[in-house]
Amino acid sequence: MKFGKRLKQQIEQSLPGWQDNFLSYKELKKLVRLISSSSSLSLSEAEFVYLLNNEMEKFNAFFLEQEEDFVIRHKELRQRIERVIERWGPNGTRPSHLEYRKEMAKIRKEIVNFHGEMVLLVNYSNINYTGLAKILKKYDKRTGRVLRLPFIQKVLQQPFFTTDLISKLVKDCETTLETVFPPSEPARKSRAAGMQAAALPPGEGIFRNTVAALLTMHEIRRGSSTYSHFSLPPLNLPDFDVIQSLQLLSPIQIP
Amino acid sequence: MPPAVSKKKYSETQSNEMEASGAMSRSLSILPSPLKEKFPQLPDSPQVTSSQELTSNIVPFCRSPRSSNQKMVGNLFSSASGCPSDLACSSLSPNTSRWMNSPFYSTSPRDGVSFPSTQLSGSVVENNDVPWNVDAIDNFLDLPLNIPVQNGPIETSTGIMGSEHRAKKIDWQDWTDELITVNDDALDSNWSDLLVDVNVPDPDPKLLDLRPGVSTCQPQIHQAHPHPVPSGESCPVIDSPTATSTKARMRWTPELHEVFVDAVNKLGGSEKATPKGVLKLMNVEGLTIYHVKSHLQKYRTARFKPESSEGTSEKKSNSAADITSLDFKTTVGITEALRLQMEVQKQLHEQLEIQRNLQLRIEEQGKHLQMIFEQQKKMEEEKLRASSSNSDRPSHLPSIDEQPPNDKPEPSDDNGATIKDVCIRADEHPSKKETSSETKPCKVRVPDDSGCSPPTKRAKGHETGTSGASHES
Repeated sequence: MKFGKRLKQQIEQSLPGWQDNFLSYKELKKLVRLISSSSSLSLSEAEFVYLLNNEMEKFNAFFLEQEEDFVIRHKELRQRIERVIERWGPNGTRPSHLEYRKEMAKIRKEIVNFHGEMVLLVNYSNINYTGLAKILKKYDKRTGRVLRLPFIQKVLQQPFFTTDLISKLVKDCETTLETVFPPSEPARKSRAAGMQAAALPPGEGIFRNTVAALLTMHEIRRGSSTYSHFSLPPLNLPDFDVIQSLQLLSPIQIP
Repeated sequence: MPPAVSKKKYSETQSNEMEASGAMSRSLSILPSPLKEKFPQLPDSPQVTSSQELTSNIVPFCRSPRSSNQKMVGNLFSSASGCPSDLACSSLSPNTSRWMNSPFYSTSPRDGVSFPSTQLSGSVVENNDVPWNVDAIDNFLDLPLNIPVQNGPIETSTGIMGSEHRAKKIDWQDWTDELITVNDDALDSNWSDLLVDVNVPDPDPKLLDLRPGVSTCQPQIHQAHPHPVPSGESCPVIDSPTATSTKARMRWTPELHEVFVDAVNKLGGSEKATPKGVLKLMNVEGLTIYHVKSHLQKYRTARFKPESSEGTSEKKSNSAADITSLDFKTTVGITEALRLQMEVQKQLHEQLEIQRNLQLRIEEQGKHLQMIFEQQKKMEEEKLRASSSNSDRPSHLPSIDEQPPNDKPEPSDDNGATIKDVCIRADEHPSKKETSSETKPCKVRVPDDSGCSPPTKRAKGHETGTSGASHES
C-alpha cells in the first residue's frame, strides 16, 4: 500500500488535467487479489491483462498529446527569444535595454515553467512505469505465472516510456537558459529571498509538484521488505534536506 | 445474465462514462452499442477451455470511429497469450513474441486510435450509429493484424469506479465468455494466417522509431504494418485503400513540426492555412488530415495564447509579476526563485534519467537471465531424457563453489556454472549504480526439480534467496 499512497499523493499534487491519467494502481491491485491461484487462465486474469493494456493506452495517449504540445511550445519559445533579440537586443532594430529585460524576464519564467512541465511528464512516465512493474510483480507472485517479464518488455517499448525526445527538449531548455541568461552573482545570499519567492503563484503548481516528485521518488526507493534484484537502489539526493524544507515552505501542506 | 442484456448494459454504462470522463483523457472510443447486435450473430460453439485454443480463437476487435465497419481489437488475449509461458504452450511462443513485439498502435484503416478530444465526441456518435455487421469480421481478417486498441470501456479513473465498474466487470466477463466461444473454423484458419502475416518481419525498426534519436525526420506512426522503415521524412506507408481515414496516433517530432511550420508559413500563416493545404504541402507519407488538423489547432492555440498554454494559473499572477518586476529587489527574488526552481527541476530530471536507465538495465538483465534459464531448462530436460545417470550432478556442485568468482565461463558442461558466471558478469556490469550495498542477485526462476544448484541469491543478506552459492561479487 505504500506505493499506492505515494502515487495518490503525487496525483493529488499533479497539474490539473493530469490527474486522471495516472495508473489506476488501486484498482489493479484489487483485481490481482481477486484472481484465483488456480492454474487455468481465468477470466479475471484476462481482465487484468485487458486493464493493463487499457492503462498503457491511456498513458500513451496522454503522453503523446503532451509531447506534441511541448514540441510546439518549444519551437514557439525559441522563436520568441529570437524575435526579442532581433527587436530589442543590442544589435536589433530598436535596441531597448528595458524592453529587452522585461520581455526576457517573461520568457525566462516561461522557459523555467516549461522545463518543469516537461520534467513532470518524464516523472509521470516513470511513476506509471514503476506502478506497472509493481503490479505485475504482485500478479506474478499471486498467480505464480511469468507475466511480468514479457509484459515489461512490451512496456519498455511503449511511447510513454520512451521519453528521450522530452529529455532532449529539457536539456535544450537548460542550455537556452544558460546562454540567454548567463548566471550572474552567486545565489547563496539571496537564497532566502528565492525560497520565499518560490512560493509565489507563477511557478507554484509546477514547482510544488516537482518537489513532491523528488521526495516521492526518494521514498519509493527507500527499500522495502520485498526488495529484489528487480528493485532500484535507494535514491541518493545531494540536497535532500533542502528539498524537504522546500516542501514545508509550500503554502499548501501536503498531508 | 443473458448476453444481449448484458451487452446493452455494458455499452450504456460506457456511453455514460464517455460523457463523464471528459474530452481529453479517453481518446479511444469504447465498445459501440452495435456490439450487442453483433454478438447474437456469432456462432455458438463449445466453450474453449485450454489457453492455447483461447489464443488461437480470438476474435479480434478493432475500433474505427470513422469507417463503416466497426471492429475492436481485443488485445486482451494477445497479451494473455504472452503470459502463460509456463502453461506448456510452447507452440505459442513464436506467436506471442510477435504479439509482444508488435507496436502498440494499430494503423489499419479500420482502427481509430486516439485522437484529440475534439474529434472524439464526433467519433463516439458515429460509433453508435453504425451497425456492426458480419462483414466486419471478415474484412478485418483480411487486413493486417493489429493490436490493442482498447481503452475506455473498463474505465479506470478513480472517480468513476465504484458500482459502474463492477457492473462492467460482470458484463465484461460475459462478453469474454462469448469471445471464447467463438470457435469458428473459418476464423480459426484465418486467424493463424494472420498471425503468420503479422509476422512483421522487422517489428523492431518500427519500434526503433520510437527509440531515442533513431529517426530524426520520421513522423512516427505506430502500426502493425510490416513495412520497412523508409529514410528521410516519410513514415511507413499504410497501403490500405482507406489510408486517408486512418486514425493512427502520430508522434510529432521537432523535425516534423518544422516541416509543418514551413508549410503553414508558405500558406500565409496559421490563420489562413487550411489542414488540407498543409497536408498537401508537407507531403509526408502516412500523415493524415486528422493529424494535421489537430496539430494546427494546437499550433494556433499556442501562438495566440502563449501564457495560457502554461499549465499553471498564470493569468492571475501576470499582473502581479508585472508590477513587481520593476522592483529590483523583488526581481532578484524572482530570479532566485526561478533559479531554485530550475535546480530542483534539473535534479528531478537527472534522477529520472538515472532511474530510467537502471530500469532498462534491470529488465535487460532479467530478460537475459530468463533466456539463459530457459535454455538451461531445455538442456536439462534433454539431459534427463538422454542419460539416466543423475548422480553426476551432485559432484558438480563442489566444483561450482570452488570456482573463483571472476572466472569466465569454463568450457564445462555444467549448466550451473554458466548461469553463475552470467550472474557474476551481470553483477559486475552495473558500475554506475548509486549504491553498491545491494548487488543484484541472479534470481532465476528455477523450480526445485532442476538438477543443478540454482545460483539464486547472492549472499548479501537476502531472505528471499533459496540455495545460492556464496560468492562475493
